[in-house]
Amino acid sequence: MHGVKRRQWNQELLEQKKLNDAKNINNYRRLTSTILGLKEKKEYSLDNLQKSKELLKINPEFNAVWNFRRDSIIALKEQLEAKFWEEELDFVMAELKIYPKVYWIWGHRVWVLNNYPGSPVSIWKRELLIVSKLLELDARNYHGWHYRRIVISSIENRTGESMDKEEFEYSSNKINNNISNFSAWHQRANMIPAMFANNEIEDKKKFIDDELKYITNAMYTDAEDQSVWIYIKWFLNSDIVSNTYTTEEYVKMIDDVKQNILIINQDDLDFSGKENAWCLKMLIVIEEISKRFGSQEECRTQEYVKKLIEIDPLRKNRYLHLRNKT
Amino acid sequence: MPSELKLHKEKHIQYIDSLDKKQSDFEYWLSEHLRLNGVYWGLTALSLLNAKDTFKREDVIKFVLSCFDDQYGGFAPFPKHDGHLLSTLSGLQILATYNSLDALTVIRREKCIKFIKGNQLPDGSFQGDRFGEVDTRFSYNALSSLSILGELSSDVVDPAVDFILKCYNFDGGFGSCPGAESHSAQVFTCLGALAIVNKLDRLSDHQIEEIGWWLCERQLPEGGLNGRPSKLPDVCYSWWVLSSLAVIKKLDWINYEKLRNFILQSQDEVKGGISDRPDNEVDVFHTVFGLAGLSLMGFDDLVPIDPAYCMPCSVTKEFKVYPY
Repeated sequence: MHGVKRRQWNQELLEQKKLNDAKNINNYRRLTSTILGLKEKKEYSLDNLQKSKELLKINPEFNAVWNFRRDSIIALKEQLEAKFWEEELDFVMAELKIYPKVYWIWGHRVWVLNNYPGSPVSIWKRELLIVSKLLELDARNYHGWHYRRIVISSIENRTGESMDKEEFEYSSNKINNNISNFSAWHQRANMIPAMFANNEIEDKKKFIDDELKYITNAMYTDAEDQSVWIYIKWFLNSDIVSNTYTTEEYVKMIDDVKQNILIINQDDLDFSGKENAWCLKMLIVIEEISKRFGSQEECRTQEYVKKLIEIDPLRKNRYLHLRNKT
Repeated sequence: MPSELKLHKEKHIQYIDSLDKKQSDFEYWLSEHLRLNGVYWGLTALSLLNAKDTFKREDVIKFVLSCFDDQYGGFAPFPKHDGHLLSTLSGLQILATYNSLDALTVIRREKCIKFIKGNQLPDGSFQGDRFGEVDTRFSYNALSSLSILGELSSDVVDPAVDFILKCYNFDGGFGSCPGAESHSAQVFTCLGALAIVNKLDRLSDHQIEEIGWWLCERQLPEGGLNGRPSKLPDVCYSWWVLSSLAVIKKLDWINYEKLRNFILQSQDEVKGGISDRPDNEVDVFHTVFGLAGLSLMGFDDLVPIDPAYCMPCSVTKEFKVYPY
C-alpha cells in the first residue's frame, strides 16, 4: 500500500466496516467464482465479457480476469462491432483515471490498440493526445511516460517518420512547466543523440549553443534540484558536444559552465552561509573533464571533497572514496 | 522523535501471522491476485526474524503447489488464476526457502522451465506471460527462477544480459526497457539479474561508479530513500537501493543510522508491520523490504539476506553458481 494514511479504528467504525465488508466480500467472491469458472470452461460470450468488466471495476489488478477478457475478445473477434473497440478503450481509460499506477490496465490498453481492427495510425495519434492529457495530471507518472514511448514508436513505425523533434519540444514544454521534472530531462537526453544520429538538426553548433543557454538558465533557476544537474553532467560529457565543438570551443564551454557554477555557489554561500553541494559535485566532474584536456589549472578536488563531507554527510563515504581515488 | 527507536520483532511476527486470518476484511479477498507473492514476502520476513516456523510448512507447500498452472506452466498467484513470471519466482522462492523444490513433480518442473524460457523474446527480453508485456522485472524473475532451479544456460543468459545492458541510462540507473527512465526498483532487477548470472563484469568501472552515485543520491535528509529524483522516500526503496549498492559493493555510500531511523519510524508499534513511510498503513510488502534493508545494514540481529536473490543467505548458498 502506498501513501495510505494509518487509521485508528474505534469500535463503532470497526462494526461499520465489518458490515460493509461482509456485503462486498459476498458479491466479489460470487463474481470471482463465476468468472474463473467460465474461464476454466473457456466460455466466451458477449454476456461474459460484460461480467468480467464488473469484476475488473472492483479489482483492476485481477490479471487472470484481464486475460479472460483478452481470450474472449480473440474468440469473439468476428462478432464484435466496430464500436466495441471504442467502448473497450473508454472502459480502460475510466479505469486508468482511477488507478493510474496499475500495470495491468496500461498493459491491456496497449493490447487493445495492437488488436484494434487494422490498428491504424489514427488511433495511435489520438492516443498521443490522450497520454499528453494524462501526463498533465501527473507529470512524473512512470507508466505514462513508458506508454508515451510505446505510442510514439507505434506512430513512427506506421508513418516511417521520426518524431524525435516533437518529443524534444515536448520535453522543453514539460521542463518549462516544472524544472524538477526529471522524466522530461530523461526524454530530452535520449532525443538529442537520436536527432544527431538521424541528421535531424541543420545547424548542429547552433543547437549545442542553444542547449547550453537553456541549461545555464536552468541551473540559475533551481540550483538545489538534482534533475538539472544530472542532465548537465550528461550533457558536458556527451559525445554530441565534443564531436560538434572544436577542442577550443569545448574547453571554453567547460570553463564558462564552471564560472557560472562558481557564481551560483558563491551566491548560496552569501545567502545561506552554506555552499551548494551540487555545485561542488559538479566542480569535481568539471575538473575531471579539464584534466582530460590537459588543463594546467590547480586541482581543487580534494578541497571540494572536504567541504562535501561536511555539508552533505549522508554521502560521506562516496566522498571519501573520491578523495582516495584522486 | 523518540530518542530510542527499536525494532518491534515480536509485533512484526504477530502481524505477519495475522495476515491469513483476516478473511472478514474485504482487502483480504481483493489481494488474492498477489497471494503467492504475499506468502513469499511474509515467509522471507519471518525468516529474517528467525521465526520461519510461524507458518506451517506443510500447509504453505500445499498452497504453493495448488497455484501451479498446468495449462501454461509456471505458478499463478492463486489457484485457478494464470501463470506469470512474477508469481512463478515467488512460488520457487518459497519452495527453495523450505528446501523442498523436489515437491515439484518432474513433469511440472519441466513445464515450469519451458514456461520461463518460452517467454524470452528474440531480443533477449522477457514478457511476463503470453500477452507481451516486456519489463526488466521479468528478466529478473526469469533468471532468478532458472538459477533457483539450477537450469541457467548460455543460450538464455547471453541474450538476456545483452538486453539488460541496453536498459542502462546516461544517469547511472536502469529502466524497465531500453529508453525508459531510471528507477531504483529497475536498478535492482537489472543488477540483481547480472549478479545472479555472474555478469557484473559486463559493466565498466566507470559505469559502476555512476550507478553508485545515482543510487546514493536517493537518500533524502529525513533518511529514507526514493525511487527517482524529486520523489518522496519510501521504505521499499530501502531494499531496491540498498541491495543494488550491496551488489556493486558500495553499500556504505548512504547513511545507515538515518535510514534505520526512517524504517523504524514507519513501524506500527501497536499492531506490528511496517508502512511505506511514517504514519501510513502497514502491509507485508513494506514489512519485508524494511526488514531486508535493516538486515543488509547489519542491524538488530536479523538473519543475513542475499542482496541478489532477496532470500536468506543460508538458502542461496545452496544454489549452483553459474556458469556451471
